[in-house]
Parts: sequence; C-alpha cells; structure tokens
Amino acid sequence: MNLVITPAMVGQVVISGLLSGVLYAMVALGLALIFGVMRIINVAHGPLLMLGAYTTFFLHQHLGLNPYLSVPVSMLVLFGVGVLLQRTLVFRVVDAPELSSLLLTFGISIALVNGAQLAFTSDLRAVEYLTGSWVLGPFAFSKTRVIAFVFAGGLTAAAFLFLQYTRLGKAIRATSQSREVAMVCGIDVGAIHRLTFGLASALAAAGGALIAVIVAIQPEMGQIWTFKSFLVIVLGGAGNYPGALVGGMLLGLVEQLASLFLTTQLSEVVAYVLLVLVLLVRPSGLLGGRQT
Amino acid sequence: MRRLAPAALAAAILALAVYPILGTGYGTRSVLQVFMWIALAGSWNIISGLTGYVSFGHVAFFGAGAYTAGILIASVGWSWPAAALAGGGAAALLALGIGGPCLRLKGPYFAIAMLGLNEVLRALVSYFERLTGGGNGLSLPTLDATVPVYYAMGLTAAAVTLGARLIIGSRFGLRLMTIREDEVAAEAMGIPTFRHKLVAFLLSAIGPGIAGALTARDQGYIEPLSVFPLATTITMIVMTLFGGKGTVWGPVLGAVVLFVAQELVWARYPYVHPLLFGAIIVGVVLAMPRGVLGLLQTKYRLPRTI
Amino acid sequence: MIDVHKHFGGVRALNGVSLALERGRIYGLIGPNGSGKTTLFNCVTGIEGAEGGRVLLDGERIDGLRPWQIARRGVGRTFQVIRVFPELTALENLLVVTTGPHEAARTRARELLGFVKLEALADEYAGNLSYGQQKLVEFVRMLMRDPALILLDEPAAGVNRTLLNDLLDAVRRLRDEGKTVLLVEHDMKVVMGLCEHVFVLDHGEKIAEGPPGVIQSDERVIEAYFGR
Repeated sequence: MNLVITPAMVGQVVISGLLSGVLYAMVALGLALIFGVMRIINVAHGPLLMLGAYTTFFLHQHLGLNPYLSVPVSMLVLFGVGVLLQRTLVFRVVDAPELSSLLLTFGISIALVNGAQLAFTSDLRAVEYLTGSWVLGPFAFSKTRVIAFVFAGGLTAAAFLFLQYTRLGKAIRATSQSREVAMVCGIDVGAIHRLTFGLASALAAAGGALIAVIVAIQPEMGQIWTFKSFLVIVLGGAGNYPGALVGGMLLGLVEQLASLFLTTQLSEVVAYVLLVLVLLVRPSGLLGGRQT
Repeated sequence: MRRLAPAALAAAILALAVYPILGTGYGTRSVLQVFMWIALAGSWNIISGLTGYVSFGHVAFFGAGAYTAGILIASVGWSWPAAALAGGGAAALLALGIGGPCLRLKGPYFAIAMLGLNEVLRALVSYFERLTGGGNGLSLPTLDATVPVYYAMGLTAAAVTLGARLIIGSRFGLRLMTIREDEVAAEAMGIPTFRHKLVAFLLSAIGPGIAGALTARDQGYIEPLSVFPLATTITMIVMTLFGGKGTVWGPVLGAVVLFVAQELVWARYPYVHPLLFGAIIVGVVLAMPRGVLGLLQTKYRLPRTI
Repeated sequence: MIDVHKHFGGVRALNGVSLALERGRIYGLIGPNGSGKTTLFNCVTGIEGAEGGRVLLDGERIDGLRPWQIARRGVGRTFQVIRVFPELTALENLLVVTTGPHEAARTRARELLGFVKLEALADEYAGNLSYGQQKLVEFVRMLMRDPALILLDEPAAGVNRTLLNDLLDAVRRLRDEGKTVLLVEHDMKVVMGLCEHVFVLDHGEKIAEGPPGVIQSDERVIEAYFGR
C-alpha cells in the first residue's frame, strides 16, 4: 500500500495504463468480432493467444527468429487454426442457443490448454530479447511494453481501416448487423464467418506474440486474457467495435491505477468487481451497443 | 421395466449402505468420491441444466463450505456434522451475494461473470498461497471418520438427487425451464424470473457447500489449492452434460461413468484426462446436447422426471 | 381503461403516441412496417422502457414495472413471432403460467386447450406442433391468467381461414366478457371486420384514429401505406 503518491507516479501509471490498454483493445477486438458476427462467446480466445505466444517462443528458440518478426508468422498460423476450428466445430453452433456455443468454446478451451500442457509441459518459458527501459523525464517505460504498444496500435488501426474501407471488411460489418440482409446481398456468410474467426484468432495471436517477451509463457496464460477481453467488450458495449478501443484503455487505466493503491495481484479482483458493477448499471455496456 | 426400477433402486441403496463393512478402504473412499461428484453434478444441474444459466464458478461453493467447516471444527470445536450443515449455509449465503447482482444479467453475461469468478478465485488462491506458503493450510484435529463421512456424503448425494426429482416434477421446475427456453416470454407470462433464478442458484450451492465441508473433514487438511481446484468445475460440468442436463438421473449417470473411466483409465495420465474432458464436452455439445439420458428420453418418450 | 403516452426523443421508435382504450371493446393498431407497433406493445408490457412516457391501467401507472408484474396486473399478450416453450408440452406451457392450486390449474388448462380443440395434443411437446397449433397454444396460454387487457401481435399471420375464423370468434367472445383487446394486424379484412376503433401509426407517430370505415378513406393513412 503506497502512502506517498506523487504526480509523477500517477502520470507513470496513467501512461502505463494507456500502453497496456491498446494491447487489451487489440485482443478484445477479436472477441468482439466473433460475438458481433456470429453471436458466439468465444471462451477459447485466451488459449488462442497462448498458442500465439508459444509459436513465437518456438520460432525464437529453434530458428532464432526475432520475436517481433515472428508476430506476422504467429498471426498467420493462428489465422489458420481459427479458420480450421470454425470450419470443423464452431460453425455447427452458430444458430444454436447461446448455451451451446458457450459450452462448445469452453470445451475447446480446455482441450487447447491441456493439449498445450501435454505438448509443451507447464514449465515456464520466456523469450529473452529486449531488456531495459526508455526514460522520458520522470517516467520510465520498459522497452518491450512500448514496442508492444506500437505494434498493437498499428494492428488495431489496420483492423479498423480494414473493417471500414475494404470490401471484405464491409461485408463483415454487414453480416454482424444482419445476417439475413447480408445473405440477400450476395455475401457468402459461411466464408465471412470463417474469415472472422481466423481474423480474431490472428489478433489474439498477435497479442500473445507481443507479450511473449514480457511475461512468462505457460499453458494457462491465456485464461485471464479471455476474461479481460470480455470485460473490455462489456465496458465498450457488445457489438460496438470502436468501443473495444475505449474499453481497452479504460481497463488498462483502471488496472494500473488500482495497482497504485492495492497490490497488483489483486488487480484481477478489481477487474472483476468492475465488470459486475458495469453490467449492473448498464447491461448493454458503457457505450450502449446493441441488445443481445 | 417400470416395476423393476424401485426394486433396483432399493437394492442399490442397500448395497451401498453395507459396502463400507464389506469393502476395502480404497473402495470406500472411491464410492465416497462418487457420492461427492453426484452431489456436485446434481447441484450444478439445478441451476445450469434447468435455467440454462451456466455457472462456471461453482467450485467457489465447495471451497466456501470447506473453509467454513474447517474453521468451525478446528477453531471453535464444532462437531463435523453440524459444521457440514453450516458449510452448506455459508455456501448459500455466498450464492446470495454473487447471485444477487449477477443473475440480473442476461444468460451469456452471467456466464462471463462466472468465468470471471473462476479467474478471481485463481488469483485469490495464488495470492494466499504466497501469503501462507504451501504447507500452511488449515489442519483439522485428527479423526478417522471415513465411514461416517461416507454415509453423510451418500445422504447428501441422495438429498441432491431427491431435490432434483422434486424440482423437476414441479411447476417450479417447469418455470425454471421456461427461463432456459425463452426468458422474455416467461416474464411476459407473469413469471418473476429473477426470483426463480436466485432460488435455483441458492439451492444449487448447498450441495457443494456440504460436500466441501465433508471433504475437509475427510482429508483433515485444507489449503486454498486443494479446496478450490478449478478442475472441479470442469468435471462437474462434463458429468452433467454427458449424463444429461436437465434430467434427474443424468448427473448420477455421468458421475458414475466418468469417475470409473477416470480411475480405471486416465488417472495414470494427468493431463490426458482434462484434455479428454474438453473433447467430451465438445462431442456432447455437437452430437448429444441433451446427454445420454436426454437422448433416451426423446427416443423412448420417457417421463420428464427420469 | 388504459391510457398510453409515449415520448421518445431522437432516433426512436415511438414519438409521443397517445392511445386511450375503454373496457370491453376491440381496438386495432395498424401502420406500415417499422411504424412502432410492436415497440408500443413492448412498452406497455414492460419489455421495453418508455422513456418519458406513461402507461396507465385503470388509472394506475404501470410503466417502470417488470413485465411479470404487469402480466399479473391483468395484461396478456401474444407475440409476432410465436414464443411457446418448445421443450414443454402444450399442457405444461399453460400450467407454468399460474401459481394457484395444482388441480384447479390443470383443469383450467385442459379446458382452455379444449376450447381450441387441442386436448388430444396436451402432452405433446410444443416444439413438435404445427405453426397453427403453436399459435393456438400461445393464445390460450395468454388466457390462463384471465387478463383484462389483451394485446395480440399479428394473430392472423400465417393462419388458414378456418383457424382464423375460430380465433376471431374467440376474440369477439372475449370482448363480450368485458375484456379489452388491442390487436396489431396487417390483414385489413380482419381489422375492418373485427375492430371497433382503429389507431394508425406511421414512423412512430399516431396519424389517425377512428372507426374502420373512416380510417380506410383517410388521406393520411392512404399516403402512409402507399407512399408519398
């Protein structure tokens, strides 16, 4: 518990919050896409991130690949995994009651995590690449976090541009607004679903690749990301894609501020209480969004 | 066939009742575990199977019951049966505290909140592990109570199954099901859905609470990791889904089959069996969404209270 | 008598609609698609909130109450898209609605099913019934609580002529018993033949009301339906 809090500390924390916020936003955007387009709550989102981290780790370990260069590779691999999952399993529950898709992705997440435990063991892995911080006046930021911020910001911006201006992106947005209308307009909804799931997995993988140099890699690392991504979506409003950005920043800020007054280990509890409070006061998220 | 059922049931109960006298210690402990799983899966079924509100954090009630009983027995000197009941009560209170806010949310959001509960538990557990260290759990005064606990757990399992039977055969149970079918329409028909969900949630917490308390007594020692094993939630979910959610005997079937499979086949491979559980969940959701009993129920037009 | 004032600002479905209904009459609510008819129903039954509006039932405000509380005050409705409980039997669909003594509820449920000639299917899962049968189940389910105000959302949709006539007779009988009926309908023959007074909505506003014959020849109504 800190008793002396200086403006510099607050400033540091706020900027840290924004840095991590963009990362949260990027990963959450993936989840938001799946929910928006297919109305599916993808509990397996975190494990996909975890697989992205492991991909980066193994590429670094066996091929000596620069972890930042492996970001696109991880994204590509998990894009494929996502499309495969959608094609073989998830597509069957797109029209089923929400309970089914929830349980299905829950089952997939268990399988992925335990599969990883079997394949990679629970030993903590790490990618040693860049250490130290950049200092700017009274603030110091770890280099890896700043670079993660830059990448995440770039990828998120690219994602939004894609959604806004490309034909495929517009098709995705159309499908998330109304599947029937999209079909009538000649959009291949099945392909859009596969694309969306793949894209979302790629975004999660990017997150995993970027944090591979920051945190310890182990099979269960993704679980908390699933939850935080949901929190971001709830904060920003389900179905509201720009809301993911706002939600992400908000979560990052709240977490970092909370760690100033409480221990960081309890930041998850803070996140949880935040979730419940927001849902009670505004069940459709802070920025509105659509009714489920 | 119908006439055989009560006789078969009576025979099974008799066999289980005399088992501790005739069987081995290992056997008794195993059946005790099966009873525990029946109590857990059967309870989970009451909230998640009937109302469709999936509770991913149910292990919280198990742990709450364990700790309540542990503290009452070790520090206050209560007898374990009384402590077990108190454990159930504590779990119900916790359910009230969590369910009060969370059940106002719509189904999927409730599930997310419960997922979060899981994560919070995980965080709290490791936080306390760091505080208390691995070996500093709570020790209960030594007592070889395996046989009495066996009977108590058996009673709990029976009570949960009986409770499920009563609920599913009643209008209250039907109303819970309408929440699963179409909550908006249910409310439009005059059903106070929040109240119903809350009651179901409370009822579903008692079984795990008591089971946790009894397990604490049986093990004689509690530490966060042992009473909040998050794999517990997964296991109770798989058992209910496999056996048949929304049915009376589904969780029992699931508990027995999967426990036996686990002991005979998978206990040797620590990570295979959760992996298999994940695969089973996927398989059941895609191929047999109503579980084995649900499938039989539809195929042979069995009564709802199977 | 119900009195509904609804004011929403901005891009909303209803903008200052005001309806007054008297006991024991059959009212119609018509208007082109998207004019806010179902939203109105949702507001009256509490499924959606009426921001800045009031719903009065016999002088008492019921807006802001939960849907189940409103239902228990005597408001019954059917839905545009049928919402029976598919995994409950037809009988259970009705039983589930009441809280009184079991036997009395069962008797009444069977009676109502008999009323629409569905007693034989009482133990059939509602999800297995045909469209028309489900519609009837939904209709009598709504009657289980003996509501004083009945809201019917497109009762004629997808229903064959014979069934429709039975339904319309049932509605007339309910009116004769002193109940108030408000129905949303696109089938003009039904509206003209059944309703005593008609409200017309367009783009969230009430543009006309009156007896069916008058409404039919109202310029604004014709414009709303056939374009500007």
